[in-house]
Amino acid sequence: MTPQRPLLRRPGPVLALRYAAALALTLFFIFPVYWLFIISFKTPAEIFHFPPVWYPESIQFANYRVLFKDGDAETVWNSLVLAGVSTVIAMILGTMAAYSLVRFKTGGENLAVWIISQRMMPPIAIVFPIFLLYVYFGWVDSYHGLIILYTAFSLPYVTWMMRGYIEDIPIELEESALVDGCTRWQVLWRVVFPMARTGLFATAVFTFVFAWNDFLFALVLTRTEVITYTVQVTHYFGGQSNFWAKIAAMSVLGTVPVFFTVATLQRYLVRGISMGAVKG
Amino acid sequence: MKMLRKLTLTAAAVMAVGWTAAAWAQSAAERAVNEAKKYSGTTITIVWEAGLQSLDPLHFSGPKWKELTGIDVKVVEVATAEMFTKIMQDYRSGAAAYDALNVIPAWMPDLANAGALEVLDPYVDKYGYRDELQKIAPTYRDNQMKVGDKIFGFPDDGDVFLMYYRKDVFEDAANKDAFKAKYGYDLAAPKTWKEFDDIGQFLTDKNQPNMYGAGFFRQPPYAMYMFQERFRNEGGKFFDAESMKATINSDVGVKVFTDMRNENKFMPPGVEQWGFVENLAAFLQGQTAMTISWPPYGRWAEGYGTDQEALNWVPKTQIAGKVGYALPPGGHPELAAGFALSVSSTSKNKDAAYLFIQWLNSEDISLQRVQLPYTLRDPFRTSHYTSPEYLSRWPNAKDYLGALKAGSETGLLDLSLLQTDKYEEVLRQSISKLWGGDDPKAILDQAASDWDAITDKIGVDKQKAVYQTWAAKSGAYPQ
Amino acid sequence: MAHTSTIAAGGAALAFPGHPPDRHFKWWIIAPAIFLLLFIGLFPLIYSLGVSFQHRTMLEDDKSFAGFLNYAQLFRDARLWQSLLHTAVITAIALPIELVLGMLMAQLFLERLPGRQVFVSLLVMPTVISPIVAGATWRLLFDNRYGPINQIIGWFAGKPVAALWTVKPDLVYPAIILCEIWQWTPFMFLILLAALSNVDKSLTEAAEIDGAGYWRIFVKIVLPAIWPVMAIALLIRGLDLVRIFDIIWALTQGGPGTMTETISIYTYVQGFQQFEVSYTAAVAFLVILMLTVIVTWAIRRMGLAK
Repeated sequence: MTPQRPLLRRPGPVLALRYAAALALTLFFIFPVYWLFIISFKTPAEIFHFPPVWYPESIQFANYRVLFKDGDAETVWNSLVLAGVSTVIAMILGTMAAYSLVRFKTGGENLAVWIISQRMMPPIAIVFPIFLLYVYFGWVDSYHGLIILYTAFSLPYVTWMMRGYIEDIPIELEESALVDGCTRWQVLWRVVFPMARTGLFATAVFTFVFAWNDFLFALVLTRTEVITYTVQVTHYFGGQSNFWAKIAAMSVLGTVPVFFTVATLQRYLVRGISMGAVKG
Repeated sequence: MKMLRKLTLTAAAVMAVGWTAAAWAQSAAERAVNEAKKYSGTTITIVWEAGLQSLDPLHFSGPKWKELTGIDVKVVEVATAEMFTKIMQDYRSGAAAYDALNVIPAWMPDLANAGALEVLDPYVDKYGYRDELQKIAPTYRDNQMKVGDKIFGFPDDGDVFLMYYRKDVFEDAANKDAFKAKYGYDLAAPKTWKEFDDIGQFLTDKNQPNMYGAGFFRQPPYAMYMFQERFRNEGGKFFDAESMKATINSDVGVKVFTDMRNENKFMPPGVEQWGFVENLAAFLQGQTAMTISWPPYGRWAEGYGTDQEALNWVPKTQIAGKVGYALPPGGHPELAAGFALSVSSTSKNKDAAYLFIQWLNSEDISLQRVQLPYTLRDPFRTSHYTSPEYLSRWPNAKDYLGALKAGSETGLLDLSLLQTDKYEEVLRQSISKLWGGDDPKAILDQAASDWDAITDKIGVDKQKAVYQTWAAKSGAYPQ
Repeated sequence: MAHTSTIAAGGAALAFPGHPPDRHFKWWIIAPAIFLLLFIGLFPLIYSLGVSFQHRTMLEDDKSFAGFLNYAQLFRDARLWQSLLHTAVITAIALPIELVLGMLMAQLFLERLPGRQVFVSLLVMPTVISPIVAGATWRLLFDNRYGPINQIIGWFAGKPVAALWTVKPDLVYPAIILCEIWQWTPFMFLILLAALSNVDKSLTEAAEIDGAGYWRIFVKIVLPAIWPVMAIALLIRGLDLVRIFDIIWALTQGGPGTMTETISIYTYVQGFQQFEVSYTAAVAFLVILMLTVIVTWAIRRMGLAK
């Protein structure tokens, strides 16, 4: 009996349906983003126009120029640096920790649960003691201070997510590498990290996003030197003012780099090789 | 010979007196600059509301101060909602990172009692500021400066609610005739809330959906100030002075709540969601004929400063030349929010910080600051209201300043007790319940009960003392 | 599953039979993470614990011992328990929707599709917009006068619709949940997509050849394969839902009244605005306790810590 092509890969009406569904979903998820982005091109009269304006009359980049001129755009850079560096460190340390938990059951259930419990602490309750800690160390308003903080906050997430992805890796691969004479350290870097690519990518995206989105700690732990994009954006919501165009332009500046990063790293998302090929 | 000696001595005496007089005739601004020069090279930090407000120290007063005295001003911008928190956290943690502060007067009792603010009287005397302090408009001067009998801040912003209305609509002959025919009195800026309801309904019936009779910022944080104003204008009292029981659920309160909700009906649909900018956009684009708000509306509606880049978020006014200014119905406007300049008690540069705020607040400099096109600081000194320079800024400016002056004389203070925010929070929630559709009496009964619980927790006697001090102020209740 | 053979046969500690377990290696690689977590996490925990037994409020930085005063207060605080209820409701509704929708989306994009790269990148966008900005944007979208949502509804209804999404008690929960799903379904989507891509295709293909239907394959082969990742994603998402703040704050500030006040908003108001430092610490420990119980139960049920 000739095997049928899998349902979802058949061309024709099914593909068309898939495409339609994809478009509809993208429309739903992107519409608010679109609305936000075009605000950066609208005049105030267009932003607060009745009925609502769906497309601005003209595309001009004055609002973006202002952000760069005034130095506000720098806050996007600050956020990128803080989130980026802390993500890289957290991915490395967290994956190592995950490997230890999965393959060696280090610390048993208790250690694993303790790690995830760090994410249960209500931020409001711990922000002031951390502020005290940072005042003591002199780390308030510093890059390294926030990087250390975000790394620590990301570790539970990275560790637990990578646990799941590492469990999916066939242990025979690591065993055969050991037989071939690799040290455990080399097994980790030469076998585990590459095999966990999809998981690393998916986890890294959101590790970055969580650090990127933080507001509370960036607010309390900075004053003037290291202002992040999330804090800067709140400066645009005044009691007697509302710089919507700046809010929108800043958001565009912030999301566009992330968009391109996700787009280019996507090949790690889908593993093309079938496991059967590796086993041979 | 004797004559010569006498003359010389007299001359010397006259010169000495004259020289001393000249020294004391120095303005407070000049004195501050001269005294501050010895701190040249240091840096002082000042906490300022982020966004539009902070353009003043960033672009004008900070650089100017540096130029005059050599002191660097580092502006720590903080969003309004977080200002109180950051100031308290800095104080409690011992970080001592702030020298000077912007403080909303309603917070002063809490901050002063916690010990976060420096008592300013010694500095005021040392640097001779008493005179110019006296010249701040009475309501701000007498009500937003002290906690107890000690000075903790200099009122620096004449925030007051004014009514803005479309003069052209009100002076239109057809409108006037039709209105008089229907209601029996002349169409003019409403003096009572009943008149407001009549006019609003009339104009909406005639002009909707292009224009509505009125629009307000109905979001709870803003509507709370409007409630405080209207409640007192209609005769309400917040507490019973003897028992310290809350009386916001009196008949007056219920009437105010009911009327507020009824008025939404002749306002643009969805007005319950409006904040500052939505309301501004509607008024400036000619969609509402009456509104109540802070002074900047009055300037921006006439196009003053809106060509500045900093104000490019303000919708272009379509009603320049058509704006009328009046006191809100009842005649006693809310001095909503406002700002005062203070010195942090943990500052390591108290004198330098103090001299900066004296300079900012002085007659000369404050006049320049309130006229900056992008400023949010509103006139607050008696001299501001009559300044020829300000009067020349736009054709209608004299009506604007006249209204502000009247407001400063009859204005009502924000409620200011221990832990004011807890009481305000109850009011905000009550307003959101009002828009949600609950029964006004039920809402206010719950609010009064919540207020009583808060008072009990703080200590009835303690709070009563603070309340009685507040209630004794000229701006606490309409006189 | 290929990898279960060794472990199932030998039990937990016998990974890599033939190679003696390296006692030091397993601790070395996890040490930096543990150190960092302790460094940042230990002091706040001890501090908060201490503070919860004191009298600290806005007015008085009173460090005197208060016994269980704050904890006793917890039980009398109706507003606290209501906020926990609101949080539970939002979590219980949003989490399953995000899971199912995310799964459907992942299935949709699993197989090749022209332009998939662009689609997936676009679909992740909602999570990257700062929650504060997202909340403010939705507030504008929902505005009756200046926002498009009521405009669109009006087109379908044929007449102007004045739905006050952020004000009316009937509409606030749908509005909040809609925003939340909009912002975080892409999270489940991407995680599940990565997990589904890892599923050994040879197994699914073999089953297809044997004539198994789509649903059977999904339940018997795919789900067990992605279960570890999916369960953890649910756990993480659930914990984050408990901490939901920005969207609600931007839309309703917990209103009308306290109808949409979640535990995060309540602790924010108490701890941040009103400086009830000691009481907030006690609330925090209550929350930690509750979450620990729930999470431990969940972990056992989901078989995550074998």
